[in-house]
Amino acid sequence: MSSDLERRYRRVLRLLPGWYREQWQEDMVAAFLDSWLTGDPAADEYIGKVAGPSSAEVASVAVLAARLYLGGPGTPRRYAWGLALRRAVLAVLLVHAVLAVDELVFLVWSRRVVGWLPPPPASIVVAPGGAWDRVYYLACVAWIVIFVALTLGRYRTARVLATLAMVPNLVALLQAQLTGIMPAPFGPWIFWILVDLAPVLALTALRRDVPRVASGPWLLALPAGYILVYGPLMALQATGNYAWLPDFSGLCCMLVAIACLAHAPRIRSRPGSGVWSLTLVLLAAVAGTFRIVTLTDYLHNPHLISVSLAELIILFVAVALVAPDAARAQRATPAPPPYPGAMAA
Amino acid sequence: MAAKPMTGQAFFVLTALADGPRHGYGIVGEVAELSEGRVRLKIGGLYGVLDRLAAEGLIEPDREEAHDGRLRRYYRLTQDGRRALAEEAELRAATARVVRARLRLSGTQAAG
Repeated sequence: MSSDLERRYRRVLRLLPGWYREQWQEDMVAAFLDSWLTGDPAADEYIGKVAGPSSAEVASVAVLAARLYLGGPGTPRRYAWGLALRRAVLAVLLVHAVLAVDELVFLVWSRRVVGWLPPPPASIVVAPGGAWDRVYYLACVAWIVIFVALTLGRYRTARVLATLAMVPNLVALLQAQLTGIMPAPFGPWIFWILVDLAPVLALTALRRDVPRVASGPWLLALPAGYILVYGPLMALQATGNYAWLPDFSGLCCMLVAIACLAHAPRIRSRPGSGVWSLTLVLLAAVAGTFRIVTLTDYLHNPHLISVSLAELIILFVAVALVAPDAARAQRATPAPPPYPGAMAA
Repeated sequence: MAAKPMTGQAFFVLTALADGPRHGYGIVGEVAELSEGRVRLKIGGLYGVLDRLAAEGLIEPDREEAHDGRLRRYYRLTQDGRRALAEEAELRAATARVVRARLRLSGTQAAG
């Protein structure tokens, strides 16, 4: 039979998140009662009626609750964010790898490396370049290797190569800035910050003990991403529908919006979908930031401003469909069990 | 990768489990005794330490026993926990040796 003392302490424990109480509450109650009860029935009955958790005891539970709600180590919130961030970084590096494949395909095509391919249009022929071009194409190959290394859990290789691979783009940007040939004031810089620098910084947080992603689907996403994204774009180009070709930031907004729309119907049917929702929210934040900053490139063209704003609205509506699930993921994603069988205990 | 520094509370909790499994309140009592009353863990604080140590794989549940109608869960050190405690103890002993040597040196200089 529970005493008033036990009931009072259980009330205090309601400060803690439900998943934590499920795992630790009975143990905490037992330890708390042990700290009060003497084993003498008469004395314990009296203590059970008059005693209660001290203010220091309540404070210790409140501090624990704050840590758990704010996402301390080993909590679901931290765990969900960690998973989502890793997937978002992989997705950004996938974009990098797809862009690199595209550059290399055009290089191979324009140099007529494969004899049976039809000759490329003159507009896309890449003239033979000097040493700088070789560095640029080497960096393209590096981004593909970085993506593959990351999917295979080779974090150190990915980190070192990514740090080196972002340098050519930085040098090219600085040169363009200093010589006054920058095509747009902010777009190239924000691209470098979001797509080169940010993933490299995030890679520094990946340690050897971070679990690997399922490499198969991610590796498959590279050729699939290239065909599914560049296939329609090339078809638009080949048929002369240039007006429908989005710029790169618009394309990113549309891709994230499509991913949100594809993911939204699976939210209810698939447990654990929340981390993907959180990943899409992070990617939407990156794409949205990129779109907003590159709006400044079109200040002279009201039509392109309208198109860009429409892209932003579509992105916002699509992400609103998954945002509630992303918020739930931070509370409901089970943290890795602290010890084998703990969740069942 | 540098190991995360161990907090004083975690060090005392691991030490309390070094000679055998203990339940929650048993750990509180042992820590108070080991620290000569300087560290008095509250239950919320104790479980904040226990869940972190369990998440890091340094402790694990040993068994559950019924006591006065309540289940007491006992915890024990894992091999990793034993190793981490030994390393921390060595580190603290080495630091203490340096402190003592410096105090002796400064005492000699002050006396001189």
